[in-house]
Amino acid sequence: MFDPKELERLKQSKEQWKENKVSKVTQRFPERRSEFKTDSDIPVDTVYTPDDLGVFNHDEKLGLPGEYPYTRGVQPNMYRGRHWTMRQYAGFGTAEETNKRFRYLLDQGQTGLSCAFDLPTQIGYDSDSDLAQGEIGKVGVAIDTLADMEILFDQIPLDKVSTSMTINAPAAVLLAMYIAVAEKQGVSAEKLNGTIQNDILKEYIARGTYIFPPEPSMRLITDIFAYCAEQVPNWNTISISGYHIREAGSTAAQEIAFTLADGIAYVQAAIDAGLDVDKFAPRLSFFFNAHLNFFEEVAKFRAARRLWAKIMKERFGAKNPKSLMLRFHTQTAGSTLTAQQPDVNIMRVAYQALMAVLGGTQSLHTNSRDEALALPSEESVLIALRTQQVIGYEIGVADTVDPLGGSYHVEYLTDELEKKAMEYISKIDDMGGAPNAIEFMQREIQASAYKYQQDIESEERIVVGVNKFIMKQEPPKDLLRVDPALGESQKAKLKHVKENRDHARVHEALERIRVTAQSNENLMPVIIEAVKEYASLGEICGVLRDVYGEYRQQIIF
Amino acid sequence: MNRKPIRVVVAKPGLDGHDRGAKVIAQALRDAGMEVIYTGLRQTPDQIVEVAIQEDVQVIALSSLSGAHLHLFPPVVQKLREQNIHDVLVLGGGVIPDEDIPVLQDAGIPAIFTPGASTKDVVRYIQEHFYGPQEKPKVQKIDHIGIAVKDLQQAIDFYENVIGIKCTMIEEVPDQKVKVAFLPTGDSEVELLESTDPDGPVAKFIAKNGEGMHHIAYRVDNLEAKLEELKRAGVPLIDQKPRRGAGGAMIAFLHPKGTFGHLVELCQRED
Repeated sequence: MFDPKELERLKQSKEQWKENKVSKVTQRFPERRSEFKTDSDIPVDTVYTPDDLGVFNHDEKLGLPGEYPYTRGVQPNMYRGRHWTMRQYAGFGTAEETNKRFRYLLDQGQTGLSCAFDLPTQIGYDSDSDLAQGEIGKVGVAIDTLADMEILFDQIPLDKVSTSMTINAPAAVLLAMYIAVAEKQGVSAEKLNGTIQNDILKEYIARGTYIFPPEPSMRLITDIFAYCAEQVPNWNTISISGYHIREAGSTAAQEIAFTLADGIAYVQAAIDAGLDVDKFAPRLSFFFNAHLNFFEEVAKFRAARRLWAKIMKERFGAKNPKSLMLRFHTQTAGSTLTAQQPDVNIMRVAYQALMAVLGGTQSLHTNSRDEALALPSEESVLIALRTQQVIGYEIGVADTVDPLGGSYHVEYLTDELEKKAMEYISKIDDMGGAPNAIEFMQREIQASAYKYQQDIESEERIVVGVNKFIMKQEPPKDLLRVDPALGESQKAKLKHVKENRDHARVHEALERIRVTAQSNENLMPVIIEAVKEYASLGEICGVLRDVYGEYRQQIIF
Repeated sequence: MNRKPIRVVVAKPGLDGHDRGAKVIAQALRDAGMEVIYTGLRQTPDQIVEVAIQEDVQVIALSSLSGAHLHLFPPVVQKLREQNIHDVLVLGGGVIPDEDIPVLQDAGIPAIFTPGASTKDVVRYIQEHFYGPQEKPKVQKIDHIGIAVKDLQQAIDFYENVIGIKCTMIEEVPDQKVKVAFLPTGDSEVELLESTDPDGPVAKFIAKNGEGMHHIAYRVDNLEAKLEELKRAGVPLIDQKPRRGAGGAMIAFLHPKGTFGHLVELCQRED
């Protein structure tokens, strides 16, 4: 797009300008820092001009919205047609309470549901397990059997809402329950919209709610891909997540690289299992973090889109345009929230939400101000949702596509991030792909996390209210508390369900899962059968634990 | 001082998978010279106590962000007591509401570190628990008195010929835009300061106050620790961290608004 001669002239005149104008000012008034850098260690210059981009091939680098390589967005007109899905992650206590919160959020204009499960559910233990004690209903809703799931979605029409479920190791079981509840509502599986996270690799790397070793875990995932391609065609079968990798301390470049490396592993596993890439790839979705460094974050989303399109096209030979599109959900970075002066978090979240929208997200969760202290209160959740609505309806940023595209700075950062991410991906390829590079990724993330903390302590990095502008404040009141009696009532409910089901049929269904797990048959149909008999999550995962064993984490720090 | 390193086990009880904080603390304690074992995720209180005994640790640091701390932390202390172990320090950290802290303290976990806590606080807490309060940094003497002058040579002539103190060295400090002359007398010295730039701090001082006493500098034996102490006491600082000043010293200035209107410098010199 730019003439090389003209670029050379510009470069020279910029150098002169730096020598004459800039250094004159900086000699008299030293700058705030000796060097400026992004979170991914990319140096930030005084100003950006066309020569920073070199000979810039518009079609190759950007293309138009909705066209390869999708740098500017996956839809031709993006938010001019429809806003991103405003989807607040919610779930705590019992299915009854979470159902109430879901319906409250839908009443307030939220357009999709996002369900948080408690840790026992995420790790495949029933509420009556010893290991579940103290954790029931704490970080999400407790689901033991289909009975809980029926209450969770009571009076919520599953053919009208889309539901995202943050569930990984036992994703097949929760999806099976969702399909069964829909059937009871009279909604067929092909009408269901939603997402299961189902991303086990990042559980090993960063999030920790794994159950089985990598190989059977990958098989469960490809079983879901295959089943949904036929039976639940509008379901997003995986949400390949960089969010938790970033929360664990990675840089933006590492977030792209490790997420896409995981994505490559899933695609390869599905192809190896005999699936046609263009049949399952359109249902892959992604999940990213919106952190602090504004322009780098916007560039991150753009770079990830471009890189994934190239990978799918060139590496996997995908032909369906939908296979090439990186569609993603964004959540604002929980780790950037402060317990000090928590109302200031509202501002952080607003900027982060703006980054996600300028980066072209398909759906968005905005964190609540009190999340460094406890689960969010209803009032805090409402402010967080309203923040999205202000961005969507009041300030005009949704009226044109990729408004920062063409900014010399943002394009420069997009190129640099893509380069850095690609270097990591090649390194991971050399190790035999993401499943073999888990410890490598953990080590890289740990080094970045430690540096981040040291930068805060040395005041190299400023956190308002934590290491600068500190204020003594009373701790906020009205924090949400999960009722400690809830564990007991959930256990009583489970006991009741277990006593009132057809034991012989439950036993048979579980045995069918055992046999199928040992074969190459798809596990989804037998799991659906079992949940309909009210076999519990813990029982189903227990059988799979018997067959597959459990993953043991390598200790790295 | 030669002491045996403190041994610590950093543990994640319960099902919580958030281990960023635990790992950062583990690494910070190790960098502070402690021997650290990290248990990894999903440990029961029994397993944690078992590791603590096997590894002969003096500290157990527990981390939980899932809200299950009241259920998971106290049993660790209880199980230690059942084994008749009373000298292991048990600490907690994570997303823990303020009102739960007294409950945990009553259960035998004396300190809880919540979001925003510095790893230095954790290190200091452990060290003071075992070694007693760290020695307070000491002020040793008045190191020098700084005097702002318009003409350095004229001022040196006056001090040498009229007052009778010899100038031993002249040095330029470019980042402070100042030329400094040193005139030692007894234990302390006079420092004459002339600005090298009309916008330098000393030039501005003279424009506002005329020539005269600019600052008083105290020598301390541990500047970094002294600054930390002042920070905790809420004293406003111009320099948050020690930096290099004239004569090879490490220096930092306090803000006059916290020191009755006069400028105070702290400095530390290698003897």
